Amino acid sequence: MELAWYALLGLFFAGYLVLGGYDYGVGLLLARGVDASRRRAALNAVGPFFLGNEVWLVAAVGILFGAFPVLEGELLAGSYPAVLAALVGVILVTAGVQLRSRPEGERARGAWDRVIVIGSLLAALGWGVMLAGLLQGVPLRADGHVAGVTHLFTPFAAATGLAVLALTVAHGATFLTLRMPVAESDQLRPLARRLLVTAAVAVSAAAVVGLSADRVRATAQRPAVGVLLAVLLVAALLAARVALGRRRPGVAFVATATALALPVLLVGATLWPYVLVSTLEPNASLTVTDAAASGPTLRLLGWLAVPLLPALLGFQAMCWWIFRGRTDGRAPVYW
Amino acid sequence: MDTLLLARLQFATTASVHFLFVAVTLGLVTLLVGMQTAWVVTGNQRWERSTRFWGQLYVINYVLGIATGIVMEFQFGLNWSGLSRYVGNVFGAPLAIETLVAFFLESTFLGMWIFGWHRLRRGVHLALLYGVAITAYASAFWIMVANSWLQNPVGYEVRDGVAHLTDFSALLTNPALWTALGHVVSAALLTGGLLMAAISAWHLSRRTPDFALFRSSLRIGVVTAAVAISLVQGFGFAQFGPVGGAQPTKFGGTSPQAEALIADWTARFGPGDYLPPTLSSVGLGFMILIGFTLGLLWLFVPLLWRDWIIRLRFPLWLLILALPLPFVALILGWIAREVGRQPWVAYGLLPVDQAVSPISPWLMGTSLVGFTLLLGALAVTNWVLLARHAARGAADPALGRPPAQPPADDPRPEPAFA
Ligand code: HEM
Repeated sequence: MELAWYALLGLFFAGYLVLGGYDYGVGLLLARGVDASRRRAALNAVGPFFLGNEVWLVAAVGILFGAFPVLEGELLAGSYPAVLAALVGVILVTAGVQLRSRPEGERARGAWDRVIVIGSLLAALGWGVMLAGLLQGVPLRADGHVAGVTHLFTPFAAATGLAVLALTVAHGATFLTLRMPVAESDQLRPLARRLLVTAAVAVSAAAVVGLSADRVRATAQRPAVGVLLAVLLVAALLAARVALGRRRPGVAFVATATALALPVLLVGATLWPYVLVSTLEPNASLTVTDAAASGPTLRLLGWLAVPLLPALLGFQAMCWWIFRGRTDGRAPVYW
Repeated sequence: MDTLLLARLQFATTASVHFLFVAVTLGLVTLLVGMQTAWVVTGNQRWERSTRFWGQLYVINYVLGIATGIVMEFQFGLNWSGLSRYVGNVFGAPLAIETLVAFFLESTFLGMWIFGWHRLRRGVHLALLYGVAITAYASAFWIMVANSWLQNPVGYEVRDGVAHLTDFSALLTNPALWTALGHVVSAALLTGGLLMAAISAWHLSRRTPDFALFRSSLRIGVVTAAVAISLVQGFGFAQFGPVGGAQPTKFGGTSPQAEALIADWTARFGPGDYLPPTLSSVGLGFMILIGFTLGLLWLFVPLLWRDWIIRLRFPLWLLILALPLPFVALILGWIAREVGRQPWVAYGLLPVDQAVSPISPWLMGTSLVGFTLLLGALAVTNWVLLARHAARGAADPALGRPPAQPPADDPRPEPAFA
C-alpha cells in the first residue's frame, strides 16, 4: 500500500516536472528578445494546457499531505528556502501567463513577460535544489525535525538546480518545435538542439559533483541505480537531439519528457527504502513506511483513487487530444 | 517577534486574500452556468456576450484564487509541520481529496473552456463549464470538511501522541460542517450576485448602449444577492447552536460547559489562557451588522418592476456603494471562526505552539513579508485589471473572440498565427 502511494506521488511530481517543465521552458525562452507577437504566440502554444499542467503540482502536494504527512512537514519545512523560491516562481508564472495579455499596452505586456521569465527561473532552480537536498541527505534530528536550512547550500545543490534549469529550457524549446507552426518551428530547431547539448553537459556536471561529494555518497542507498539513471537521462537528451535533427519533433518531445521525469525516479530509487536520510543520526532516517499515513487513511484514499485516477488522467488526455497538432490561424489566442 | 506569531500572521493574510477571490469565483461561476445554458438553449447572442463578458471577469479573478490557493496548500507543510506530524493522518485526507477531486479537475476543465470557444461543440463546451462549477463546489465542500475538523476534531483516536483515523463518516457528519458550508456558499453567492449587480448598475447609470445586456445582468444579480442574503442570515443564526455546542469557549461568556472544558484542558495541557482573543467576537459582531444591512437588498427587488431601479438611478448608486460590504463581512466571518478557535490548531487536541515548524523567526519573517508583498501586489493588480475590464463593457471581450476576427486589443496582427 505505501509503495503504491509512493509510486503515485512520484507519478504526479514527475508529471508536474514534465508538463510544468515545458511551461517554464517556454517562459524562460521569452527572454530571447524576440518581438512581442512571437512571444505571445509561444505562450498560446502552451495555451490550453497551461492550467492543467500546474495542477499536477497541487495534486502531488495533496498526495504528499494525505498519504505522507510526516514527510510533507519535514520535507517542505526542511527545504524551506528552496521550496519558497519554487513557490514564488510558480505564483509569478501562473499570474504572469494568465494576466500578461489583459493590459493593452506593449510596455505592460513586456513587463509581465519579464515576470514570467523570473518566475520560471525560480521554479526550475527551486525544485532542482529541493531534489538535490533529498539526495544529499538532511540534518534530521532524533526528535524527527530537520535542523536548520543551511544544509541546502552546497555545490551539488547548485549544480542540480542549474541542471534542472537547463533541462526545462531544452524541454520547452523542444515543445515549441512540436507545437508551433512549421515555419516557426524550423527557425527554433537549431536553438533547441544547442540547448539539448547544454542540458546534457549540465546534467553530467551535476552527476560528477554529486559523485565526488561525501554527503551524497553516504546518503545514496543504491548508488549504482542512481548512476545508471543519470546516464539514461543524458542518453534521452542526446536522443532528442538526434530526433530533432531528423525532423521528428514528436519523438524528441517524448525523449525530453522522459528526461524531465527521470530525476524523480532517480531520487526515489537511489534512496529506497528511505525517503529522508539523516546526515546526523542514522536511526532518525525516515523510510517510506515510516513517512506514510497510517493504514485506515491509506485504505480510505485507496478506495477513492481507484475510480478517480482514470478520470483525472482521462480528462487530461482529453485536453491533449482536443488541442493536439500545431497552432495555426484557427487557434484561439487568449494568454 | 516569535516564529509562532509570524506564522499565524502569514496564515491569516494568505487565507484572507485567498478568500476574497474564491468567494467571487464560486459565486460568479454559478451565474455563468445559468447564462451559458441560456445561450445554448435559446441561441440568443446576448447570452453569448454575457457569458463572454462575465466569463472574462471570472477568469481574471480565478488567477489570484489559484495563486493564493497554491500558497495555502504549501503553507501547511512549510510553516505548520507539527500539524502534518500529529494530525496529518486525519486532516490530510480531506485536503488530499480536495486537491484530486476538485482543484485538479477544475483547472483542467477551465483551461479547455477558455480555449474551447469556436473549437468544441456547444454542448461539450457547456459541459466543461458545468464541470468547472461542480468541482468548485466540491472544492468548497472538502475544504470545509478539513476546516470543520480543526474546529471540532472527530472520528479519530490518539495513539503514541499521533491522531489516527477511525471513522471517516464522522468527518462528514461533523456538527461544525453543514451549517457553516451553507453559510459560506451562500455568502459566496451573495458576493457574486452583488458584484454582478454593482457592475451592471455602473454601466446603466452611465447610460450604456448595451442596455439590454446589463439590464438582465442587473436583474440576475439583484435577485441572486437578495435570495443569498436570506440564506446567509438563516445559516448564520443556525450556526450558533452546533458551533457553540462543539466549541463552548468560542462565543465568549462563561458557561458551565466552557468552565468544565477549561478545567479539563488545564489538567491535561497545563495552565494557560484558553479563551480566544476578543478580536473574534468583534469580527462576529460587525459581520452580523453587515448581514442585517445587506438584508435591505430585498427592497431592490420590487423596484425591478418596470425598471424603476434603473429609472430612479439612486438605487444603482446604492448597489455600487454596497459592493465592499460582503468582502469585509467575509474577512470578519473568517476572523470570527478562526481566531475563535485559539489557542488551538485542532480544537482541544493540538495547541498552535506545538504545530508551528521549528523555523527561525528570521526566516519566517522573510517569508511573511515576502508573501504579503507578493500576494498583496498581485491582488491589487488583479483588481485594477478587473475594474478596467468591467468598465470596458461587453462589446468585445478577449475571451471567446472568434479567431478569424483581428484582436481589437492588439495593435498588430499575429504573424505567427497568420
Ligand atoms: C445576520 C447575519 C449573519 C450571521 C448571524 C452570521 C453568523 C455567523 C457565525 C455564528 C459564524 C461563526 C461560525 C464559527 O465560528 O464557526 C459566522 C462565520 C462566517 N460568516 Fe457569518 N453571519 C452573518 C452574515 C455574514 C455575511 C453577510 C457574510 C459574508 C458575506 C458572512 C461570512 C461568514 C464567513 C465567511 C464565516 C466563516 C466561515 C463559516 O463559519 O461559515 N457572514 N457567521
